[in-house]
Amino acid sequence: MINRLKLLKKIFSGYIIQDEADVNNFNKIITESKKDLNKLNFMKKSVVKTTISKKFIIILPQNPGCDINANQKLGCPMRKKPGSQAKLKKDVLEQSLCTGCGACVGLCPYQVVYRDRTVQLHDCDLTDGKCYAFCPRTPADYGQIRESLFDVSDVTPEIGAVKGYHLSRAADPALRAKAQHGGTVTALLGVAMAESLIDSAIVSSRNEELEQEGRLVEAKSQLCDYAKSKFTVSPTVAAFNRLMGDTAGKVGVVTTPCQALALAKMKTARINDDGKINPLNLVIGLFCGWTLSVESFNRLLQQYQISPEAVTGMDIPAGKNVLEIYTKASATSVPMVEVDACVRTACRYCIDSTAEFADLSVGAARFGGDCDEMCGWNQIIVRSEFGKQLMELAVARGALEIREAPASALQDLKNAAAEKKRKALKNIVEKSRSVKNLLYLSSDDPVVRKYLDAGTKQRS
Amino acid sequence: MTKLLSPAKSKVLFLGNEAIARGALEAGVSVATGYPGTPSSEVIESLAHVASERNLYVEWSVNEKVALEVAAAASFAGLRSMAVMKQNGVNVASDFLLHLTASGTRGGLVLVSCEDPGALSSVNEGESRYFARMLEMPLLEPSDFQEAKDLTKWAFELSEQIGNVVMLRSVTRMSHASGNVICGKLPVKSRKAHFEYDGSVMDSSRGPMISTPVVAKHLLHQEKLKDIEALFEKSPFNRYVGPGKPELLIITSSACFLYAEEAVEMLGLQKRVGILKLGTTWPLPPKLLEKHLRKTKKILIVEEVLPFLEENVKVLAASLVSRIGINTFYGKYDEMLPSAGELNPDIVAAALCHILKVKRKTLPANYLNDSQKAAALIPVREQTFCAGCPHRASFWNIHNAIALDGRKGFVCGDIGCYSMAALSPATGYHTMPTLHSMGSGTGLASGFAKLAQFGLDQPILTVCGDSTFYHAVIPALINAQHNRADITFIVLDNAGTAMTGFQPHPGLAISAMKEVVPAVDIAAICSAIGAKVAVSDPFDLETTGKILTSFLADKGLLKVLILRQACALSPEKKGKKIFDVKVNESLCLGDACGCNRLCTRVFRCPALTWDRTTKKAVVDEVICAGCGVCVSICPQKAIIKL
Repeated sequence: MINRLKLLKKIFSGYIIQDEADVNNFNKIITESKKDLNKLNFMKKSVVKTTISKKFIIILPQNPGCDINANQKLGCPMRKKPGSQAKLKKDVLEQSLCTGCGACVGLCPYQVVYRDRTVQLHDCDLTDGKCYAFCPRTPADYGQIRESLFDVSDVTPEIGAVKGYHLSRAADPALRAKAQHGGTVTALLGVAMAESLIDSAIVSSRNEELEQEGRLVEAKSQLCDYAKSKFTVSPTVAAFNRLMGDTAGKVGVVTTPCQALALAKMKTARINDDGKINPLNLVIGLFCGWTLSVESFNRLLQQYQISPEAVTGMDIPAGKNVLEIYTKASATSVPMVEVDACVRTACRYCIDSTAEFADLSVGAARFGGDCDEMCGWNQIIVRSEFGKQLMELAVARGALEIREAPASALQDLKNAAAEKKRKALKNIVEKSRSVKNLLYLSSDDPVVRKYLDAGTKQRS
Repeated sequence: MTKLLSPAKSKVLFLGNEAIARGALEAGVSVATGYPGTPSSEVIESLAHVASERNLYVEWSVNEKVALEVAAAASFAGLRSMAVMKQNGVNVASDFLLHLTASGTRGGLVLVSCEDPGALSSVNEGESRYFARMLEMPLLEPSDFQEAKDLTKWAFELSEQIGNVVMLRSVTRMSHASGNVICGKLPVKSRKAHFEYDGSVMDSSRGPMISTPVVAKHLLHQEKLKDIEALFEKSPFNRYVGPGKPELLIITSSACFLYAEEAVEMLGLQKRVGILKLGTTWPLPPKLLEKHLRKTKKILIVEEVLPFLEENVKVLAASLVSRIGINTFYGKYDEMLPSAGELNPDIVAAALCHILKVKRKTLPANYLNDSQKAAALIPVREQTFCAGCPHRASFWNIHNAIALDGRKGFVCGDIGCYSMAALSPATGYHTMPTLHSMGSGTGLASGFAKLAQFGLDQPILTVCGDSTFYHAVIPALINAQHNRADITFIVLDNAGTAMTGFQPHPGLAISAMKEVVPAVDIAAICSAIGAKVAVSDPFDLETTGKILTSFLADKGLLKVLILRQACALSPEKKGKKIFDVKVNESLCLGDACGCNRLCTRVFRCPALTWDRTTKKAVVDEVICAGCGVCVSICPQKAIIKL
């Protein structure tokens, strides 16, 4: 017995091993040597107790690869707070809240996007990471961000800041033919580039399997190659993060609502004082109801015997409740109920359908009665002063045509946006099972408070 | 002239394994085979060096079973031969061994098993002595270097006498320590090989070499073992040192004899304790044992690892009880000595103190406290791959592919340096949760892959080294292909049996005796099986990563990726850097957000160090092997090739 103990001691030399008799004395020994252990603080903290039998307790170093040891050896302070990356995993990825926007990607080697999923490759233990700070699904003072970017007087609860609201389309019919609806985004970017308001634009580009990536476009002539709605998520912000290291000059980014929010968090985050955000000069937001999971959507395409690489475009025609998928040879209508099943879970918890944190937001114009008349037009929400200047410049240069929207249009849009907010908040409460826990949102935000379901509020 | 061929009567410092090789030469061995495995490899290596001078045939066989078969063929043709392996190699050879002991042998055939108590360089501390009892082979255990030579030589004679294989067992502390050996004569004549098979089935020198008629041959074999027992009674390799009437008798063998001697001397118990050292441990010579068991009532049996000797002595003592009376036995069964791990003089001394109630000089009272303090100061030195090791790059790729895939895939491990990926999770980036015997990774993977129908949806990967591939993987791989196992099988081909010292294997165009031989191509074998095969350089992270992720996504079939890059310590690479690498301090982000020391905290090549004052990474020029992989992993491009 005593020899076996000695043997184990030899094997694990460097770590304490106690036999059964010592188990009772174990706490005493630890207490007695506490002074020394405090001096050598890491000793206590970097070990775990492993009971291998009734007779023995072996104390081994935690994980031999555990960084605590290394940090301690290097004289680094003990990190008690959980790392930002671990919080991101727990609060966002594991909660299915990740929008796939790419805000946490491209900043460091630890997060990457793979097949429209955000993957944490290796562990990072930093407690003040940009990944958590920039994520549009981590808690933040969203009211404060709104105030710092927009005129408070412009802010509406339903669709964010509104400086102006119009119908618009690109003046160039050739451009409109290539675009999803009115070609407004491409026209605006073109003007911004021509007038040197931006030097390049980050847009999303789709590969053969419908996966997307952000792409830097530096020539105006290439812009229309990336027109059209993609319906799957693009890690556009990752491209922004990555490219900001390499490129000088001013950049415009075309974003979904979650991406616009990520960029807004970057602009206002204290952590981002290294100036990397400075090139961001223009954010054009896209209206967004949801995005599709590439994996599920590819499966759906398979059911309809459509190969992803053959897809030339997709649209949701007003009033038909179908997704039309176009290939060179055919057009296929897929019932929305089947498409809904492919929507990313995260989109269920999104309260923003109009990209409230962009300079300008653009969407399709489709209103019940005026369908034919509106076809080929966009709705545009002007939000910031810079957005207003750009739109006016585009009109003045003859690149963009605008007209007044039908009287009820803005209210219809607001109603639809408010409905999405209500539904998302309901989904959030269902998920967290408490009205007090709104995940990344807070009832301190008046917008959130307004749309928290009355019944839910009462229940609390 | 090499040391191994020193003239008769010269006193030479031999490694235990060299002493075994010399013994074989003195016995006139013609054929020596083996599979590399620590601590056995030097026996074959030494013989390979003198192969042409001594007209030997020396072979690194594909595995231990084949090694024994090749050696047995020589024996059947009348030559003296030996097969050398590590402890678990005997398990590999055991199926043939069972039939070999049944058929018998002709020319002296010695099976050398070099074992590793304490698993100093193994992932097991297997005991092959039980095979001697189970398969009824005489077992010899040298306890010093002279004996290692002499017993080996004698083993050949014994083998011819009994017409069967004889087992010689060494341990790490015998095989890898050195001592003086007085050489004997090297024979001048060598035998001519010829295989006779026309005689009667019961004529072991002229008839067919088969195990049938089984029962008749078995009985004959057991009769011969009785003759051996009689020989063992008089063997000079069994000897007693100590008083005529000791208080305690130690029965021991192998290196444990040295531990026992030292413990007795350390405690000054020479007049109270006697030691019976056995060189022939199976079958036990009953008369010799009876003579010594009569001397005292207290017996301590000192051996590594399991109580093999203890059990056999106790069985014998039970049959002698009417004559020798009742003894008290100390050993493993009463936990006086541990039945796991190596022994040493301290452990034996502690047992002696306990039995004889003597006290050793006590340690100072504050010893525990002080030792704890000292222990806390020991720098953490984890087991890890060398700088420039292709396995680090391979596991980096594997980790990333598994992480990207996102289904919690895992690697079934195998035996090689890459086993460290399981022993130290940070070395394999937490990818390799299983590790068993050679080739078992692929077999396990083949099994895991068939659990899909029960809901297992994790991608299954497995790795093996190039030598391991030939040794034991091929049947498992065929099993995987035939049974449609969806696995990603990765060959970590580092161009040699690297872990044991770069012995050649069938994939290389060179033999143990440095002859040019045909190389057997792993990729061609895998393609022939019908697997999807790709070859890549693990240092090319981008290409390798793409292949791996596409393999994981490609479901329902066997995929083989051969990652080819020679070991950093291989003779052709050692000391040569592909690149000079350094850190551009102005670009290095250090522990800031955006990097957080990916290179020194996660990638962990020993050549990358962390400067505490500048808070930047530094390349240690002396350790760096210049593989350039860290250049690819640095997110800041701060590590640069010069």
